[in-house]
Amino acid sequence: MSEISTAPDLSALVVPMDVWTRPFWDAAAQGDLKLVRCGACRRYRWPPGPFCPHCRSQSVEWTASGPAVIYSFTVVPDRGGPDRPPSLQVPALVEFPEADGVRLLAAIVDAPIDQIAIGARLELAWSAAANAQIPVFRLAETAP
Amino acid sequence: MKPEAAIVGIGATPYYFRGESAPQTLYELIGKAALAAVADAGLTISDIDGLAFYASGFEPGLITEALGIPELNFASVVSAQGGGSAGILDLAAMAVETGRAKAVLCIGACQQSENRYGLALSRMAATPDNIWSQAAGLKGPGQALSLLARRHMHRFGTRREAFAEVVMASRAYAASRPTALRRKPLALDEYMAAPMLADPLCRLDFCLETDGALAFLVTSGERARDLAQRPVYIAASAHGGERGWGRSFFWLNMPDELFTSAGGEHTARRLFAQAGITPAEVDVALLYDHFSPLVVMQLEDYGFCPRGEGGAFVESGAIRAGGTIPVNPHGGHLSEAYVIGMTHIREAVEQLRGQAVNQLPDARFALVTGGPAPIPMSGAILRAER
Repeated sequence: MSEISTAPDLSALVVPMDVWTRPFWDAAAQGDLKLVRCGACRRYRWPPGPFCPHCRSQSVEWTASGPAVIYSFTVVPDRGGPDRPPSLQVPALVEFPEADGVRLLAAIVDAPIDQIAIGARLELAWSAAANAQIPVFRLAETAP
Repeated sequence: MKPEAAIVGIGATPYYFRGESAPQTLYELIGKAALAAVADAGLTISDIDGLAFYASGFEPGLITEALGIPELNFASVVSAQGGGSAGILDLAAMAVETGRAKAVLCIGACQQSENRYGLALSRMAATPDNIWSQAAGLKGPGQALSLLARRHMHRFGTRREAFAEVVMASRAYAASRPTALRRKPLALDEYMAAPMLADPLCRLDFCLETDGALAFLVTSGERARDLAQRPVYIAASAHGGERGWGRSFFWLNMPDELFTSAGGEHTARRLFAQAGITPAEVDVALLYDHFSPLVVMQLEDYGFCPRGEGGAFVESGAIRAGGTIPVNPHGGHLSEAYVIGMTHIREAVEQLRGQAVNQLPDARFALVTGGPAPIPMSGAILRAER
């Protein structure tokens, strides 16, 4: 039985927001993962910001992320503390086949470590920070 | 031929494990290195009229007050962290080649007692642009760069044995060096048994945490010929970078091709064009080794082997003394000391003067790189006097 990845404790994290990133967090609060692309040339970029790096337009569109897969990941031991046991956390880069050009940093949670792999399909979940919902991911159920 | 600046003096404090430089202050360490560099060149403090820094720099006013430097004609900082280390030579060369200053002291130092760089991502003030690292549980550059290492392994079949060889080679070089903090030879099974800190990186893939200061004195090539030491010429120097590398481990959205690199190709192209040489003509490479996989990737960036073949290249023994391209014969950040790239410049100068502890035969050209890190990144090619 492989060890199971745990979620980082984000409960005290205060997410700073600006006019360009707020739509992401507003959607997250509704349980939606949305990504940003240029309203002129339709190319995705990350993080959200005031210009399209490809055409310099300031027009943006927020779209549903679509499916998510692991681009890369690491496994980091958490030594634990007085009120939590040692555990393994898995910060990962997640990519989206329907949003080329975006890699989101997010934790892979509740996953057997030995089943986490580049290319693995993911399911979205959420973890509460002080003022926002943070996207985390579980491994998608494998087809029987 | 363009006027060439030269490094004419080097100075360093002893290297200390993190925290062990106390009760000396940071500016005391800097002052000791600066005075040693001036003495090495056979000059006096009054000859200094310029200061160059990177990694946010130090206070020029405080340094001139404390050391009694009569006047400054130049004081500037490469706007980078470890990526800018070799860029101080670029600033200094520009200053002396244009006549802005006559003698520029390049200074780098660290004292990590209160601020551990390994936790830089978790300590950084959160902004709307950088919050993603903390949200994913990434605490430091090593964890972030392990994402690149894993992708390199996935794409090219690079093995942990290659990362191990980088560390073992650095330890073998360090064995003969009194300045090195880790001198005990390392075996592959010991490496494999070390605890994982950010899989696929184990504890030994992470560099040391060191206190210390170094300084280099740069003046014109013409003046250099009359000073105490054999001059080492700055044949090429550059700081900059490309959009696709951007904020590097703070961004992690580099295009796929760059994600499995150390982001150094842009600097490499500029340096080789400026120096008018090819990678095959480099006798020794001082590659910024904060994390061992980035050495493998820099060997590819700088053209010592084709893209994707860095692992096999390293495993063949290519970076050892007598190999295709000896890398970090001072033991590097992994085994000697970590002063944010400065020890690499010192070793390049000592090799080209013929004064190195692990002296390579007939070393004429040395490559020095700044850290794979947010741009500007930097590098230099140094040349020995014939």
